[in-house]
Amino acid sequence: MRFSFSSIWILCLFSFGVGCGAKDNSDTATFRPIQTENAEFWHRQTTVTAELMETIVAQFNAENPSLPIEPIYAGNYGEIYRKVTTSIKAKTLPALAVAYENMTAEYAQSNAVVELDSWVDHPEFGLSEDDINDFFPAMLDTNRFTEYDGALLSLPFTKSVLVLYYNKRVLKAAGLTTPPKTWEEFITQSKQIKERTGKFALSFDVDCSTIDGILFSMGGQVMKDGKTQYDSTESIETFELIEYLFKEKLAYQNPPGTFNDETDFGNDKIGFILRTSSNRPYLEDLFNDHDAWGIAPLPQSDLDNPKTVLYGGSICLFNTTPEQQEAAWKFVRYFTSTEATVQWALGTGYLPVRRSAANDPKMQAFWESWPDNRVAFDCLEYAVPEPNISGWQQIRNRVARAATEVISSMSTGQDAAIRLKKDADAIISKQRN
Amino acid sequence: MLNHSGKFRPLMTPWIMLFPAIAIIAVFGTFPFLYAVHLSTVDESSPANVSNGLAYYSDALRDESFIQSVTITLWFSCGTLFPVLFFSLTIALGLHRATKFKKILNTLYFLPYVTSIVAAALVWRAFLDPTQGFANEFFAQRGWEPQQWLLEPRGVLHLFLPDMFSPTTGPSLSLACVMVFEIWHSTGFMIVIFLAALSVIPKELEEAVRLEGGTEWTVTRHVVIPFISPTLLFLTIVGVIGSFQAFSSIYALTGDGRGPLDTTQTLTVYIFTQFYDNGLIGYGAAVAVLLTLALILLTIIQWQLAKRRVFDVS
Amino acid sequence: MKQRILHSALWVGAILMNYPFLWMMLTSLMPLEQATKNKHGIWPETWNWKNYLDAWNAAPFGQYFINTLAISITVTVSVVLTSLLAGYALAKIPFKGRGILFALILSTMMVPFEASIIPNFVIISKLGWYNTYAALIVPWCANAFSIFLVRQAFRSVPNDYFDAARIDGCGEFRFIFTLGVFLVRPMLITVALFAFLGSYNSLIWPLIVTSSESLRVIQVGLTVFSGETGVRVNLLMAASTIVILPTALLYLITQKFLMEGAGQAGIRG
Repeated sequence: MRFSFSSIWILCLFSFGVGCGAKDNSDTATFRPIQTENAEFWHRQTTVTAELMETIVAQFNAENPSLPIEPIYAGNYGEIYRKVTTSIKAKTLPALAVAYENMTAEYAQSNAVVELDSWVDHPEFGLSEDDINDFFPAMLDTNRFTEYDGALLSLPFTKSVLVLYYNKRVLKAAGLTTPPKTWEEFITQSKQIKERTGKFALSFDVDCSTIDGILFSMGGQVMKDGKTQYDSTESIETFELIEYLFKEKLAYQNPPGTFNDETDFGNDKIGFILRTSSNRPYLEDLFNDHDAWGIAPLPQSDLDNPKTVLYGGSICLFNTTPEQQEAAWKFVRYFTSTEATVQWALGTGYLPVRRSAANDPKMQAFWESWPDNRVAFDCLEYAVPEPNISGWQQIRNRVARAATEVISSMSTGQDAAIRLKKDADAIISKQRN
Repeated sequence: MLNHSGKFRPLMTPWIMLFPAIAIIAVFGTFPFLYAVHLSTVDESSPANVSNGLAYYSDALRDESFIQSVTITLWFSCGTLFPVLFFSLTIALGLHRATKFKKILNTLYFLPYVTSIVAAALVWRAFLDPTQGFANEFFAQRGWEPQQWLLEPRGVLHLFLPDMFSPTTGPSLSLACVMVFEIWHSTGFMIVIFLAALSVIPKELEEAVRLEGGTEWTVTRHVVIPFISPTLLFLTIVGVIGSFQAFSSIYALTGDGRGPLDTTQTLTVYIFTQFYDNGLIGYGAAVAVLLTLALILLTIIQWQLAKRRVFDVS
Repeated sequence: MKQRILHSALWVGAILMNYPFLWMMLTSLMPLEQATKNKHGIWPETWNWKNYLDAWNAAPFGQYFINTLAISITVTVSVVLTSLLAGYALAKIPFKGRGILFALILSTMMVPFEASIIPNFVIISKLGWYNTYAALIVPWCANAFSIFLVRQAFRSVPNDYFDAARIDGCGEFRFIFTLGVFLVRPMLITVALFAFLGSYNSLIWPLIVTSSESLRVIQVGLTVFSGETGVRVNLLMAASTIVILPTALLYLITQKFLMEGAGQAGIRG
């Protein structure tokens, strides 16, 4: 009898023991690397872009055989975020991974991310003053985190801007020849498309970045002095624009997580989509004909002061062993060099991260083959990144909710915007505690 | 009971038999729970594991989205469990009484349960697509207004009777669609178990009642139901646990689990969101512990309530 | 007459329930342009049987199948063994603490899976099992539900069998693996089927604990069709149809045993 009861206790203690063993080393500085023969790199590229990634990695590994980089497809950004946060708890990490800046901020809370400033200043393989200035400032700034005293915690990787894609055939059927330059023109053209062809003008994908992009183009900001600006005039205008488009049945909602808006666009069902410039290659495949579609900058409120949103992923290095960190840094340095960034930009829809890419003959040939190919690059001059604070992911969801409230007629644009500001600021203050 | 010690059965025997199962369940089943309890009482933003007491628990109870999540879970649970029990029992009865093609029919009814949820959800999403799906085409043919289905955050009740109900009362249309999918998917599971239970009812009993002039309904009420009441209790308990823990179907149908305006965010989705979208691990753990305790409580209540009504026909 | 109504109703019901699969199979044969138009009730313009070949070649599905089958079969066999032994012990051997132990085991059924992902991952990585078959198999080798089912099955078997065996001098373990298995065989098959299904259809856990291509399982493999370009619907449907076949076949085969087995599942007050 004593034996059986004590057995139960032993079992409980056993599981506790495993548990205690697991919680034992709380937050020491370094994490175990996932593997030691290679430096593991988690990315989200599939099919064609994955092949290009592997080519570039192979090019790098040929010059740096001591600790080769191994690229591994680890899901989309959300899934990679989950894998990384889970791995942090288990005290083991890959050498580097792609992440949105706000994700990097959260990883940094557990001391998992390497500060890159010391590597930039490295005597042997750092980045020179010219190199630093060659990066597009907006791209580099967004990888500096005010929460961590302006430290550089990641480097830009797959950057793009929000642009307007327009279907020339649908526009022609509605009697239009050029895409809209201002939001007023956009509304007029949308109404014309509806009246003359009966089709919807836009399939709208509810996404915080798209909404922020429109907000920027209206002349507004997202954050100022640590508080969100979602109750500003420009923000209200943004939400009222969305409200208007849906009320007048000029737009319908794209099911979240799908790319139906692009296939509809390709099937001449709508006139416009507001999407990232990195989707250009896929639209190329859909249309196969530059007379059928075009790329234009985002419509603006003030043409003298254009703005759009800069988004996309960065790469961060993890705090594992010194060898892994060195290999990872060298790779990132290579990948963001002019030569590699041009190769990457030409083979995918992403933008080069260096200004000197404009001088590359291959890049110039690409632009000459079709003028619209330049549009996204030219927008980089005035593209604005979104905040990179921790807790931003929650705010993104809250912004999408506000848009959904407006779209399903459960709220006016103005009310949704004002409530959004309140909730977003509350999320930020909770983070500070 | 006779004392079975001695040569036939050394005292260690049951423990040897139980060891493999217990080892795995203790490590991968019990430990996570204990770890979650630990996580829920620790302030996660402090690196030194400072104790937070029950702060996360009181946070949860005061959080609007948590309360909303509980409500949604209750809607989801009741809305799937009762229809599934009803449909599966009815269909099982039908299959039981059928005389031809039983094997094929049984397989056809079980198929939805067997399928990968990811693939099945894709088919449903296409069917319910607001601009291209068959559902809205069907509606258009009848002159009804097209619906947003899985994208609709407004309540089903509101859409039917806009004057009586506000858009936030009751389950959203989106949640209703998810529930229908879940019912479709899970019915097969219960049909299989019911069919088996029905197959052990002695035919003589049913015949006897029929000979005395009883209708099918009488037979069902007085012979079948009492006989399968143990199975009914079992499936109810399992069904409650299953419905509270449903996740993949919700996630696959809505793309992010939370649904439009978070109206499909059941407690498991809520926990998932806290862990993986918000990075709030301690808080998420607290909610997980609450959910587990609630389920244990519910199970005990169901067990006690049903004890008297379940017939032991052995 | 009544039988005819019953049968028609059953067939109508079966077709309605399986309409999504009908759609799935029709779409799998369509060319991509037609498939993305999402229309229903339309016959494929051309019968692209080649879609099945393309789907198969889109990713190393052969490897994925082998992985998944290896894992699922191992898990199934382990679950049957652990629940057989545990179920017998809990049903037929009186010992102190049995009730409490059973309750503790059952309580693990009430812990939501999402909550256990992180702790389980911590253990897996401490054991050095990240990205190995062990991580995909071991945590699933025993579960409370199966133990419960087998225990129920044993409880509904009269004690006479055990008494007779004891009198004949048969060792207890030997008894379990010969006569015992035969007595609860239907339930063991039920347990096996559900264990196989659970393992075969799992997605989230494999995503978290593995990264390399060589360990990828089928469900993760299906996600390759949902790329950044949009979903290649026709290929995904072809792949999904291929994926469903083994489980459908498995059910067809084991049906007969299931009937008898699940009948022992009830709870008496």
